[in-house]
This record gives sequence, structure tokens and C-alpha cells, in this order.
Amino acid sequence: MNLEGLDPTILGPACIAGVLVLSTHVPLGQQVLARGIIFIDLAIAQIAALGVLVAMYFGIDEHGASVQFAAAAAALLGAALLTWTERRWPDQQEPLIGTLFVLAATGALLLLANNPHGGEHLKELLIGQILWVSLGQLIPVAILSAVLLTLMVLLRARLSGLIFYGVFALAITASVQLVGVYLVFASLIMPALATIGLSGRKRTIVAYTVGVLGYVIGLALSAVLDLPSGALIVWTLAGCGIAARLVFASEARPEPALEPATDSLHRT
Amino acid sequence: MPPRCSIRSASAPTAPTNSKDRLFEEWNAKRQWAAFAAIACLSPAAHAFNVFACEPEWGSLVHELAPDKITIDVATTAMQDVHVIEARPSLIAKVRRADLVVCSGADLEVGWLPQLIRQAGNPKVASGPGYFLAADQVTTLEKVALLDRAAGDVHPQGNPHIQLDPYRVLAIAKALDARLAQLDAANAAVYQQKLADFTTRWQAAIKTWEAKAAALKGRKVVVHHSSWVYLTQWLGIEQIGALEPKPGVPPTSAHLASLIDVTRNQHALAIIRAAYQDPKPADWLAERTGVPALTLPYTVGGDAQAQDLFGLFDSTIDKLLGAIK
Repeated sequence: MNLEGLDPTILGPACIAGVLVLSTHVPLGQQVLARGIIFIDLAIAQIAALGVLVAMYFGIDEHGASVQFAAAAAALLGAALLTWTERRWPDQQEPLIGTLFVLAATGALLLLANNPHGGEHLKELLIGQILWVSLGQLIPVAILSAVLLTLMVLLRARLSGLIFYGVFALAITASVQLVGVYLVFASLIMPALATIGLSGRKRTIVAYTVGVLGYVIGLALSAVLDLPSGALIVWTLAGCGIAARLVFASEARPEPALEPATDSLHRT
Repeated sequence: MPPRCSIRSASAPTAPTNSKDRLFEEWNAKRQWAAFAAIACLSPAAHAFNVFACEPEWGSLVHELAPDKITIDVATTAMQDVHVIEARPSLIAKVRRADLVVCSGADLEVGWLPQLIRQAGNPKVASGPGYFLAADQVTTLEKVALLDRAAGDVHPQGNPHIQLDPYRVLAIAKALDARLAQLDAANAAVYQQKLADFTTRWQAAIKTWEAKAAALKGRKVVVHHSSWVYLTQWLGIEQIGALEPKPGVPPTSAHLASLIDVTRNQHALAIIRAAYQDPKPADWLAERTGVPALTLPYTVGGDAQAQDLFGLFDSTIDKLLGAIK
């Protein structure tokens, strides 16, 4: 037992980061699940990291805003590529995403063969640690999340193709650096999976509740048990997801397993 | 007031050596009690002197130099790669209450210490006397004037793995002791006496180690990561190759092929790795060359014998000698 870590000034910024990540990832996760492209977040995160390495290869400054622009540009390019492949080979989208993921990941290794300092940046881009988040870091992410959420609400009926992949790419590029790949995957998939039988506003509310409870319980437990926060939150998110499935089991049964893509953000 | 509080406040006195010390101790205890009552047990450890050490070797050194009552928190263990650690809330809480942070420096902890200190928001240890870097107290090896990416994961301030040279450890002990006495002035006399005691025992131990290790002089070793230069330089051991072609870079097949030749032809004594490192690369090379792979503790806690700094050097030298057939 370790109660001294239960300090709101220690856990507060991490908690806010979690809420910001959830704000965009819960609705996006429902789309990802409906489209059956579960590993797209890993692929986009790897492409963003690859973009940074390529930019460094051509000599851009390794600190500051230019790195963020390189990451976002690469992620958007990856999004454009995925939009095109989805149109060209719609039933091969998932294996193509997997292929893109391993190409980006191993491409980074090849680029890094002689550059271990690039490896530190690759790690920073992929294994953000939620406890190291500072409030200053959260401001640009809050603005970005607000813009993306507005876009999603305004365009919810037409959130397909290029717009979906573009919004997704920007959201993932920002969140991966805050909380890391594992938490991004969990925030995206688990609330959506837990509420798969529900629909409309109810689904959104339950999914956000699962996400927020997962983060809060995970952060508090990691302080008390003295365990790494990010990894533990993944487990508490899963626990909250299972609890939600049990609570809403009776309501979920009559619904179809997967909803069509365009309905997943549809509110009643 | 909860009983825990009064127990902690009464834990201060050590055995004072003379009446002046005792008076000072009593005055200090009263002062601490007053400060303690004022904050009404909000922070149970606020009156004690707290040290946060990044690595076990510095925790162990503080333990040698400081009175028993001070609190020492060690961030990592011998089984962890200190270049990278996972963030836990308790680490931030420990830095927040620290009066002194003791780390290797030379960019060894650059991946996490700056964030940890920023997140803790404790001005006492953010810079100035509360921030003690061991590498700043000694000259480092492998310092490069011009940082070239092509050279691998080199630290511009030199190789940070300094704890395996006992002379550097002694120099660091002197600087650290002065810092402890400056920050915890109430116990200055204790620190002085403890340093004298440590120096005597350490110098005697160095003589023993050097006599024992004479047989290692001129022997050749292959290492996993470039973390052994201070040890090999001290003992006159020659490093003829490294599994990582450049620090932090995984080996290529061409590099491994040449390493097999070098290891075999130059009759290496052993292939050395630290307790925390992946055993596979060294085992792979051992299998192909017949040269034994040797796991050394690398820091305090790395094996059963290395329970303190003395045990660390005892174990390291014994294991190296054990490789001589």
C-alpha cells in the first residue's frame, strides 16, 4: 500500500489527458469497430513516427513544432492512402492496414539502423507516458480535440472516407504522444466493444462512463499499488467494459452484433 | 492527533557523541516538533531528511554516509535498464518530498528524470544544491567533442556508467558527503565522521581488490553494451569487442561475424553482460566461440553477494576470476 501517490496534483494532469483522449476516441472507436479496421490506430501511429524519422533524416530540427507538423503530415498522408485503398479494394482494407503497420514499423527500424538518437524520438512518439503529461502540453490537444469533435458532430452523417481517416489520423497523432499506443488502443476499442449492443445517445453515455471510470480507477490503483499507470489503466478499462456488458446484457441481446457504419454516431 | 504522528516525530535522535551534539539534537528535535505541529500531520515525513536516488549504487552510497534515520528512496533496481523506466505515481511523490536528488547524470536518465522533476514541482531539487549528479564530480571517459549521430548512442558528457571504478566512487563520496552536510547541517558532524569511516574501509578494500584482480590484468573481454569502461580501465582489462556495434544499436550480421572471429582468435576471457540485460546475445556468442558468457551484478542488488557497494566489487572481481581456468 502506498497512499502518498494519491495526490490530485500528481494524478490530475493524467486524468485530464485521459478525458481529452476519450473525448475523441470513444466516438471514433465506434466507427473503427463498425468498419472492422481494429488495428488502424497502430498503423497510423507508426506512420506518424515514420514521418518524424524521415523529416529528421532530411535534417529538420528534432525538437519543437516542426516535429509535430511532420508527424501530422505523415499521418494525413497515411490516411489519404487508406482512403484510396478502401475505395479500390474495400474487402481487403483490414489486411492492407496490417501490412501498412508492419511496413511503417520496420521502415523505422531500417531508417534507424545507424541512428539510435532517432530511436529515442521513436519511443517518445509511440510510448507516451500518461504520468509525465504537463498542463502546458494539454492545451494544444484540448484545442485539437474540440475542433475534431465539432467536425464529427457537424458531419456525423457524412463522416466517411477522407474525412473519417483525416480526423482519425490527427486524433491518434496527438493522443499517442500523450498516453502511448496501448492506452490509445484501449480507449478506442474497449468502450466501443463494451457497448456494442446499445445504440444512440445511451451508447455514447455508457461508453464515456466506461472510459472515464477506467482511467480514474486505474490511476488511483496505480498510485496505491505502486504499479506503472498506463499498463494498469488498460486493465481497469477492460474491467469496466466487462462490468458494463454485464449490467446492460439484457438490453443488448435483441440488437444485431454490428451496426452499419453510418449509424454508429447516429443519435436518437 | 493520530498516534502515527507522535511516533514519527520521536524517531529523530541518534546516539549523540558529545554534550554539544546532544543539546543541538534536542534543540533540533524541538524545532522539528514545532514545525511538525504547525502542519498538523499533513505530511508525515516532512521533518526528516529525504534523499531520492536514481540508481541503487547511489542509494547504497548515501546509506554508507548518512545517519540511519534519513529516508532513502531508490527509483530503480539492478534488474532494470536505467535508460528507460515506467512512470509510477509514487516516483513523483518521492521526488516531491525529497531534499536531495542523487543521480548518475551525463544524460543517463535523460529519458525520464527531467519529466519526473518537472512533474514533482519541488524547487529544492530542481536545480542548485539539492540536485547532485555523480558524473559532474569526476572526469568521465569517452567524452566526445563533437556529437556525431553516426557514432551511436554516445553521451556528449562522457560514458555515464561510472560506478565500477572505486576511485571515482570515493571522489563522488567526498563530494556527496559535503553536499549532505551542507543541506542537513544539523547532522554535519555525523556526515564527517561517517565519511572518514567509509574512506578508511574503502581504501583498505581497494587494496584487497587490486591484489586479487592482478591476475586479470591484460585479459581480454567482449561486452554487451559499453557500460564497463571504468571497470576495465581500472583493472587493466582490454575490451576487444561489443555486441552492440555502436552503443544502443542492435548488431548486424556482418558485425556478429567479425565479432566471432575476434572473440575466438584473441582468446577472450569472457563475454560480459549486466544482470538486467537480455541474456540471448551473449549466450549466442558464447555458443559459437566457446568463450563463457558472464553475468556481472553491474550495480548494488545485481546478485546475492552485491548487497552493498563493497559486495558489488567483491562479486564482480570474484566472478571475473572464476572465468580464468
